[in-house]
Amino acid sequence: MHTEPANEIAIDIRDVSFAYPRSGGTPLVALEHVSIQVRAGERLGILGPNGGGKSTLLKLMLGLLTPGSGEILICGRPPHEARRARRVGYVPQRVEAELAFPISAREAVLMAIELGTPPWAGRSRGSRDLASECLERVGANAFADRPVGSLSGGQLQRVMIARALGRRPRVLLMDEPTVGIDPSGQQRFGELVSRLRTELGLTIVIVSHDVRAIAAGCDRVACLSRTLHYHDAPAGLTPAVLAEVFKHDLAAVFGDVHMDAHRAAECATPAHSHTHAHGPGCPHDHSTRPHEGSAEGET
Amino acid sequence: MNTLRYLTGGSADLFWPGVLTLLIVATVCSLLSVVVVLKRMAFVGQGVSHAGFGGVGIAAALGVTTSAPVTLSIVLAFCIASAFLIAALSRRRDTEPDTAIGVVLVGAMALGSVLLHLAHQWHPAERVPGWEGVLFGSILFSGWAEAMWSAGVAAIILALATWFRRPVLAWAFDESGAEAMGVRVGAIRSLVLVLITLAIVLAMKVVGVVLATALLVLPAATALSLSDRWRPVLILSVLCGIGGAAAGLVLSFEADWPSGAAVVLSLVGIYAIARITRTSSARR
Repeated sequence: MHTEPANEIAIDIRDVSFAYPRSGGTPLVALEHVSIQVRAGERLGILGPNGGGKSTLLKLMLGLLTPGSGEILICGRPPHEARRARRVGYVPQRVEAELAFPISAREAVLMAIELGTPPWAGRSRGSRDLASECLERVGANAFADRPVGSLSGGQLQRVMIARALGRRPRVLLMDEPTVGIDPSGQQRFGELVSRLRTELGLTIVIVSHDVRAIAAGCDRVACLSRTLHYHDAPAGLTPAVLAEVFKHDLAAVFGDVHMDAHRAAECATPAHSHTHAHGPGCPHDHSTRPHEGSAEGET
Repeated sequence: MNTLRYLTGGSADLFWPGVLTLLIVATVCSLLSVVVVLKRMAFVGQGVSHAGFGGVGIAAALGVTTSAPVTLSIVLAFCIASAFLIAALSRRRDTEPDTAIGVVLVGAMALGSVLLHLAHQWHPAERVPGWEGVLFGSILFSGWAEAMWSAGVAAIILALATWFRRPVLAWAFDESGAEAMGVRVGAIRSLVLVLITLAIVLAMKVVGVVLATALLVLPAATALSLSDRWRPVLILSVLCGIGGAAAGLVLSFEADWPSGAAVVLSLVGIYAIARITRTSSARR
């Protein structure tokens, strides 16, 4: 696997703005003048409310959208070139995969590895070995030959990470990786990501609206709500910063545009809940939702 | 045994082209049905197959139904246009996919019925296809020319499906992940739509526009209820498709039932048996 020299900039987002065109109306501005730099081997968390521009920034980094202004470089290349050169791995939200698909975890990884190989080429020993290596790296060997539909949330997430690793990326982008996974599963996920970073020298970007997922283990945090509100170490992530970032989200729920910033801060602070960053009644409180990613069955 | 008599007697030449066409169509549709079912495109198939009725109406209004290749080309072009119209309407935020399919489906059916009605007046000397034949098909409608045409189109479908199998599977399994890995998901979606449309047009002649979707749904639905492994699902799907077609033909010959309906009833029967078998083995 590849490693980047220390202190090299792996992701360079320079003054990027983006707006979605709307027929017959003014464009919907998603991002304004956002600048973020991620050093090689760094773990960055991008935090923000729904509709704050996180997914748009992810699509821009993947080269699926083009900035209206500004520039993005991934490993020194434009995103679409970096993607073509397999520099970037992407772990989608697990709910996006078709779980009824009749394939095993190993076949899901092989599918990613073999993408781009000539149509006439059969399955090579090299592909099989790489799939086994990736599955072993994420601790998925025990359930590698089970159908994807029978896996728990945490197990499936490991398979999706192995899929991304099968492309031998230098940068790993993860979209809402802890959604639907219980606290113990989230902890194991954090340990896995740390190990991957150490072993492979990966630059890792985690996009989430979940403060806990972001704060645990990230070197730096970028708080995004159309503009960049904060970009520094997680230690500086004060309730006031979170209240400012999540203001729109909370206001939508409480129906008070001028809501008390202190109340927002209480909801958003990581110390507020044992299981989640957001307390009961807060818009991101998922404590009542049944978790699919049970600790049982994880290996 | 009527079946043996029909297939080996003096009228064998009348039946064999249709029988071979049906078996070719069943094989191709069974393979594609795995993607159709997994990607939940059955209703799209329904819309496209019914749009074929509009295509037949256009061919009849133009007075070209005596030429099988010209008719099939017109139907194919109309169905592909309908498939892309459904896709374009579905992409609009203000239109749900099932609404788009519903609009195209009823629009094409209405257009077809008006044009078939007019064709009787405009071309009284020509043999304009009747409603029943277009809606439910028959193996007797296929001659050797149609059988060869079907074999050629089936070979193209299989070649394209094999060539693009990797991006198609990646798209079907995880669309956003595939796009991030460099798969041109828009192009792949269009390719799959075209392949499904080609298969439906092939199926229309032998089972009709109403029942064509059955061949694109039931084989995979049966296979997926019996296995959760990729290769067994593909093999079981093809076996179900060919088995259902063969059983339907025998049923049609022996009981003198319409061939298209007999084939679809056989496929439904196989599906029901598979579901019952699965349920009873799960209880044990």
